[in-house]
Amino acid sequence: MQTLRMNAGLLSSFLEALKAFGTLVAPVERSPGVFALEAIDDVSQARPEALRTILPFKKLLLKPRFVMLERRQGQYGADGADNDLGPVVYFGAHSCDIHALRILDLLYLSDYVDPYYKRNRDRLTVVGYGCMPDGKCFCQSMDTSTIDKDFDMFLTPLDGRYLVTVNSARGDDIVRANQHLFQPATRRDVQEYLERLKEREKAFTLSLDVTDLPYVLELKKDDPVWEELGKKCLCCGSCSMVCPTCACFNVRDECPEEDSAQRVRTWDACLYREYALVAGGHNFRASRADRVKNRYYHKQEAFVREFGMPSCVGCGRCIENCPTGINVVEVFQYVRGEA
Amino acid sequence: MSVSLPEQLPARSAPRKLATGVNPYAPAQARIMRVQDLTSEIRLFDLRFTDAALAESFNFRPGQFVELSVLGVGEGPFSLPSSPTRRGMFQLGIRRAGTLTNYLFDHVIEGDFVGIRGPLGNGFPVELFEGQDVLLVAGGLGMVPLRGLLHYLIDQRDRFGRVMLLYGTRTPDQVLFREELESLARRGDAEILLSVDNAQGKPWGGRVGVVTELLDQVSFDVTNTYAIACGPPVFYKFMLEKLVARGFGRHRIFLSLERRMECGIGKCGHCAVGYTFTCLHGPVFSYWDAINLPELIYT
Repeated sequence: MQTLRMNAGLLSSFLEALKAFGTLVAPVERSPGVFALEAIDDVSQARPEALRTILPFKKLLLKPRFVMLERRQGQYGADGADNDLGPVVYFGAHSCDIHALRILDLLYLSDYVDPYYKRNRDRLTVVGYGCMPDGKCFCQSMDTSTIDKDFDMFLTPLDGRYLVTVNSARGDDIVRANQHLFQPATRRDVQEYLERLKEREKAFTLSLDVTDLPYVLELKKDDPVWEELGKKCLCCGSCSMVCPTCACFNVRDECPEEDSAQRVRTWDACLYREYALVAGGHNFRASRADRVKNRYYHKQEAFVREFGMPSCVGCGRCIENCPTGINVVEVFQYVRGEA
Repeated sequence: MSVSLPEQLPARSAPRKLATGVNPYAPAQARIMRVQDLTSEIRLFDLRFTDAALAESFNFRPGQFVELSVLGVGEGPFSLPSSPTRRGMFQLGIRRAGTLTNYLFDHVIEGDFVGIRGPLGNGFPVELFEGQDVLLVAGGLGMVPLRGLLHYLIDQRDRFGRVMLLYGTRTPDQVLFREELESLARRGDAEILLSVDNAQGKPWGGRVGVVTELLDQVSFDVTNTYAIACGPPVFYKFMLEKLVARGFGRHRIFLSLERRMECGIGKCGHCAVGYTFTCLHGPVFSYWDAINLPELIYT
């Protein structure tokens, strides 16, 4: 790890330079206060301070829909070129996003390596950006409010400059190709960083007590709260689609034209009714209450037992996007008997 | 004879690779060599990989499964009713139930090609069974994976103690592999008891009643016996606790579970129960592990 500084006025030169390392993708403001993660050519569009894009970066690794295998005019192909996004530089990743990336890596790069994910992952450059939380952020409670690995570079905004963390050989390549943009960090930069860190830790207003939460959930597995939640949840799947760690997918075959066939992979959500439906008609999670409960248990109980951490990074996207106003933090506070 | 089997692997351990290819989503081509109707709704397919080396080396653990697909129609998980002690060919016992299986019944004939990925999942811990008595209890289509295990046991008969099979179906014409089972019983390789819910006025030498009642008809030494159960949710609901009531420790009972599976390799999420992927950690679980996963057995 190496720590540098960059003057704030050089940001657009830096972003131009990043284009040499792949398609530059950054949050852009689509309408007031609404941000989307998009490939940009005009670097002035980048809004890295935006707290959450509608869809998280997972779409840069696995498209919402792509062809895995196909047969066309008798030719069989399994190269999944449809999901090949080429080298991508993701600018504006926050600490929670990078933690989510680590969770996706755990899933897709362990046991059987997912070749479609891996191809994009290997060529993804992550340039993080220090954020300041709003009322929907609870990464502090999830222990994901800071990050010390799995990114290439990280920019933390200070007064008129950035503290630049270089954390990979690829990050080092970027610095070496653009040495005129960077200077060694000074003691004053470091001091200001530490002050900002303190200020940021104090800025969180939403918190979730995760003490012994897996066992608390085990104890509460038959609680009426899940039935109540099932009445409120529409099972629309919005929370899963916008969740940076939700990565379930569905596979189905299609025949787009005569003598051609495709095996298509699409994002899926455990909240959908067909999710646990098997041949013969048996549905292992037929009620909305079963499905919404499953999602909460998966994130905060089962994943913790398996990997020692929740599969929630506290980004607040599900809170922002739930059409019926379900707030994950309030649900767990209620389960704990605190609300 | 000693058969070496693929290792049992805990999930989230070493990177691994499917026998059918480096890309775990891409199937290897296999040819349908023979088709037999077991009942009007269940058909037995004999398959052989087109690649001769793969056909000969394809090895699996009883209880593992494969994904069969026809590109353009769909893909689905199927358990293997054949044993790794008999190489070169493998079998799938398939019930007509949906788009893919309807296609297999209506359009696929001997000589056709399909795609196969596998072997998938963790199978039965057969090493534990050596020198022990083995009690298989099957309900309905649960006989399909247990038939693979049964072949494995009787093909190495001297390595195991008593082999018992209790098998229940709804009606006599739904008994799978009936002649074969009767032959195994006749030659003394296995003790086999059959039951049907309803004999429907047909000749029937077995018991009429639910399969759990067969348990009362056999005696066994629970300290020296493993029980392996496979059947539909309602079968597990009654059978597993009955085995416990008969004295089996929950770690001496193994079961194989069904879930919706798409990828078979622990990625797509459909078969997840908690964070246990039925396809990757299972489909075989000990009863102790299973009851500690809410929803795993029935919902």
